[in-house]
Amino acid sequence: MLEYTVFLLIISAFLMLAFKKDLIAIFSTAASFIIICMAFLFKNIETVRFGGWAPPLGIVWVADKFGLFIAILITGVSFLVALYSTKYIKEKKHRFYALLCLLTAGLLGVSLTGDIFNMYVFFEIMSISSYAIVSFFLDKDAIEGALKYLIIGSLSSSFILIGIALLYGLTGTLNMADLVIKISHTPPYLTAFGLILIGFAFKSAIIPFHAWKPDAIQGTPIPAGIIFTTASVTIGIYGITRIMFIFNLLTLTTAFIFFGVVTMIIGAILALIQINVKRMLAYSCISQVGYITMAIGLGTRSGLISGFYHILNNILIEALLFASIGCVIYATKETSLDKISVKNNTLLIATSIGILSLAGVPLFNGFVSKWLIYTASLEVNPSLTVIAVVISAITLAYGVKIISIFFNPSGKTIKIPKAMLVPVVVLAFLCILIGIFPHIGLSLVEPAVNALLNQNHYLTTVLG
Amino acid sequence: MLITLITSLVLGIIGVFCVVVKKNLIKKIVGLSILTNSVHLLLISIGFRPQGIAPIITRSNQIIFASKAVDPLPQALVLTSIVIQLSVTALALGITVMAFRHFKTLDTDKINKLRG
Repeated sequence: MLEYTVFLLIISAFLMLAFKKDLIAIFSTAASFIIICMAFLFKNIETVRFGGWAPPLGIVWVADKFGLFIAILITGVSFLVALYSTKYIKEKKHRFYALLCLLTAGLLGVSLTGDIFNMYVFFEIMSISSYAIVSFFLDKDAIEGALKYLIIGSLSSSFILIGIALLYGLTGTLNMADLVIKISHTPPYLTAFGLILIGFAFKSAIIPFHAWKPDAIQGTPIPAGIIFTTASVTIGIYGITRIMFIFNLLTLTTAFIFFGVVTMIIGAILALIQINVKRMLAYSCISQVGYITMAIGLGTRSGLISGFYHILNNILIEALLFASIGCVIYATKETSLDKISVKNNTLLIATSIGILSLAGVPLFNGFVSKWLIYTASLEVNPSLTVIAVVISAITLAYGVKIISIFFNPSGKTIKIPKAMLVPVVVLAFLCILIGIFPHIGLSLVEPAVNALLNQNHYLTTVLG
Repeated sequence: MLITLITSLVLGIIGVFCVVVKKNLIKKIVGLSILTNSVHLLLISIGFRPQGIAPIITRSNQIIFASKAVDPLPQALVLTSIVIQLSVTALALGITVMAFRHFKTLDTDKINKLRG
């Protein structure tokens, strides 16, 4: 059943170009979201064998709870983005939707596949549609962002391919479950591991591999920006975690904590000095990725839970902030923080919810995951907790800078189309809902962590 | 076997060097192609076998097939990767054309307006 979601998305991308109806894209993203949710609720682990070949010979898709957790987030975001762009994109809308469907298909394929080369192929489908979507407006910013993204992105993809080639040469298999059994921790294997890891680190924009991100975000249309700061980042982290899982290196702590902390600090400081609001949000996303990397790098079960919870919250918060600021940009055609001044109560409330969640204020969802990160890092090293708390304060500082655009007395009142307000309101509602009832998020996150830690179940299900 | 590995390593280093150091966009794209082709060479050399035969089962070669045929999987991977590389290069060249129309140059230092 699951494989049809990706087929549906790819086919609807081409139907979109032929028939130019927005409903096709909205329907296909919504349908895949519902199918994935059903699978998460009712199936523990599902395998799809293509061509009837038994693994490890044939290509196999494995949807365990971890992959499905990521897939739910991706399809949910792209459904909201599809709704949002009905009004935001005015010209060549069918092309945008076609690219959006392909992008979602690629992301979904990466999260559901159980074959490492298949993962690379979907990764490239996702990357190529990302490059195209960044250059969508074809103006100076868009072209420059797309060029940087394309060159850095292709370089990182090549690293992943070299890593996969080495792995195949060493083990003679491409199936992830089979790799887990055949892998040893000798230098050639670790070279392959490092190469693949660097490739995914580029995608999730962990510092020092972040240079493309703010430029790409500045040029891209806002709806695609939502996908880049949420789903693309998430898939990078998914790839890193999967690779650690294949290599049994879930305890590779020091490097991850180091890069996580560096990303957290530099991202927050660079966000503080930005004038362009899109770049500021891009850096804030990088900073949040630092939190996630650090939490996953802690290596403990509580660390993983807090990291995954922050993946969920990061998606909700960044999507909310991008969507609500995007409404402002839609109305004013202005991205510099100095020049925007508007009045709109719905957007003011939504943005405030986003900022407070991002800074980790109690009763909002950011608080839940940040609290989990604080307690998890306290078990490992108290100084990490101190850094995390301080960075939260810096987050609030640049958040206030964003919110100040609504408080200028000379600001003019703006009207926003309903189709754009619906995603904003839904995301703001979810932020508060998870903040007040944290166990809703935990019911998604805990199965994912259990699936990741319970390696034997994965192996026996796939290899039979 | 060894000589193909060394060649692919050298090609890979040339490719990365081109992408990182060269300032001209076209040269960067050429560098990307060289890098990807070095990976293709690596993949093909992994499946290589001295005096191997093509991995196609016919009536006459069934007995010696398993001991003689080269590994067909890397070749399939390379075909897939070539298709991907083709589309990346096409897209890159297309965007480069647009960049030239906007900036009237292919020098990456002069295109670099967005910073920080």
